[in-house]
Amino acid sequence: MAPSKADKYSVILPTYNERKNLPVVTWLLNKNFTQHNLSWELIIVDDASPDGTQEVAKQLIGVYGGDKIVLKPRAGKLGLGTAYVHGLQYVTGNFVIIMDADFSHHPKFIAEFVALQKAHDYDIVTGTRYAGDGGVYGWDLKRKLVSRGANLFATVMLQPGVSDLTGSFRLYKKPVLDKVIATTESKGYTFQMEMMVRARALGYTVGEVPISFVDRLYGESKLGGDEIVEYAKGVLGLWVKV
Amino acid sequence: MTRATQHISLLFILSSVYLATFLGLIPLPKKVQSEIIPVLPFWAIVSFGAYLLFSLGWGVLTFKDTEKAFDELVLEIDEAKRDLRAKGVDVD
Repeated sequence: MAPSKADKYSVILPTYNERKNLPVVTWLLNKNFTQHNLSWELIIVDDASPDGTQEVAKQLIGVYGGDKIVLKPRAGKLGLGTAYVHGLQYVTGNFVIIMDADFSHHPKFIAEFVALQKAHDYDIVTGTRYAGDGGVYGWDLKRKLVSRGANLFATVMLQPGVSDLTGSFRLYKKPVLDKVIATTESKGYTFQMEMMVRARALGYTVGEVPISFVDRLYGESKLGGDEIVEYAKGVLGLWVKV
Repeated sequence: MTRATQHISLLFILSSVYLATFLGLIPLPKKVQSEIIPVLPFWAIVSFGAYLLFSLGWGVLTFKDTEKAFDELVLEIDEAKRDLRAKGVDVD
C-alpha cells in the first residue's frame, strides 16, 4: 500500500546556529521527497540564532517555495520540546518527521520510514542505530561502549520494546505526536526517550528502520561525565514516572 | 502502573515465594531444599550480571561502522552546495 495523494509529510526542524547545515539538509530533503513522489513541507523553528540561520532560511523559501519551506522563529533558546509544540501548530501534513539538522540523520531513510509505516499502519516509525544494518560512523570504542551501556541500562529499566531508545529520527502520525508530546515533561535528550516510553505506554505501535548515523561530520563527538549522570537520572526518573 | 511499581511488585512476589521455599513452607525434594534453595538468589544475581555483561560485549563487538555512509554523505554535500550556490543560496 503506497502513500496516497492525500498523505503529506511535515518535517519539523528545530534550529540553533545551523546556517551551514540548513541549506544542505533542505536540499537533501527536497531530493529525497521528490525522488519518491511524496508531498512534503519543512517547518524551521529557529531560536533566534545569531549566525544568520534565518537569512539562509529565507533564501531557501525563495528557491523551494513558501508552500514547502515554512520559517517560524522564536524569540530565544527555549528548548527542544517546546520547539516541537511550536512547530506542530503550523503543520499541514498528516505525518510529522523529527530529525537533527547536522547530517547525523540522512533524509534518504525517510522513504523507508514511509514505506514501513504504510505496510503495517504503524503509529510511529523510528530509526535505529543498533539493529539490523543500523550503525554509526565516527565513534571510537569508548563511545560505542558508553552508548551500548546506556541503551542497555534504559532497556532493562524501561523495557520500551525498541532497540534504540535515545534515537531522535522518527516519523509520527500527527495525532499521535500531538497526544504524546502533551504528556511529556522532560528536557534535553531525556525528552526523546520519554516520548517513546510514553507512546508505548499509551499503546501506540512502533516500527523500526535501521539507519546509519554519521556523528559529528565536522569534529569530535564528545560525551562528558555530566551528560552521563544526567542521562542516568533521566532514565530513573522515567522508571518511576511512566 | 509505572515501570518501577511493576518491577518492585514482581520483586516482592518472587521474594515471598522464595522466602516460603527457604523456610521450608513448600514441600520440596531434600536435595533441592538443602543444595539449591540457599544459593538461588546468588545464582540469579550472578546470572543476570553475566547476561548484562554478555549483552554489552556483544553489542559493542557487533556495532556497525558505516564508513560507506560517511563517504557518500561527503560527496552528496558537495553536490548540494554546488547546486545551492547556483540557485543563489549562501553556502560556504
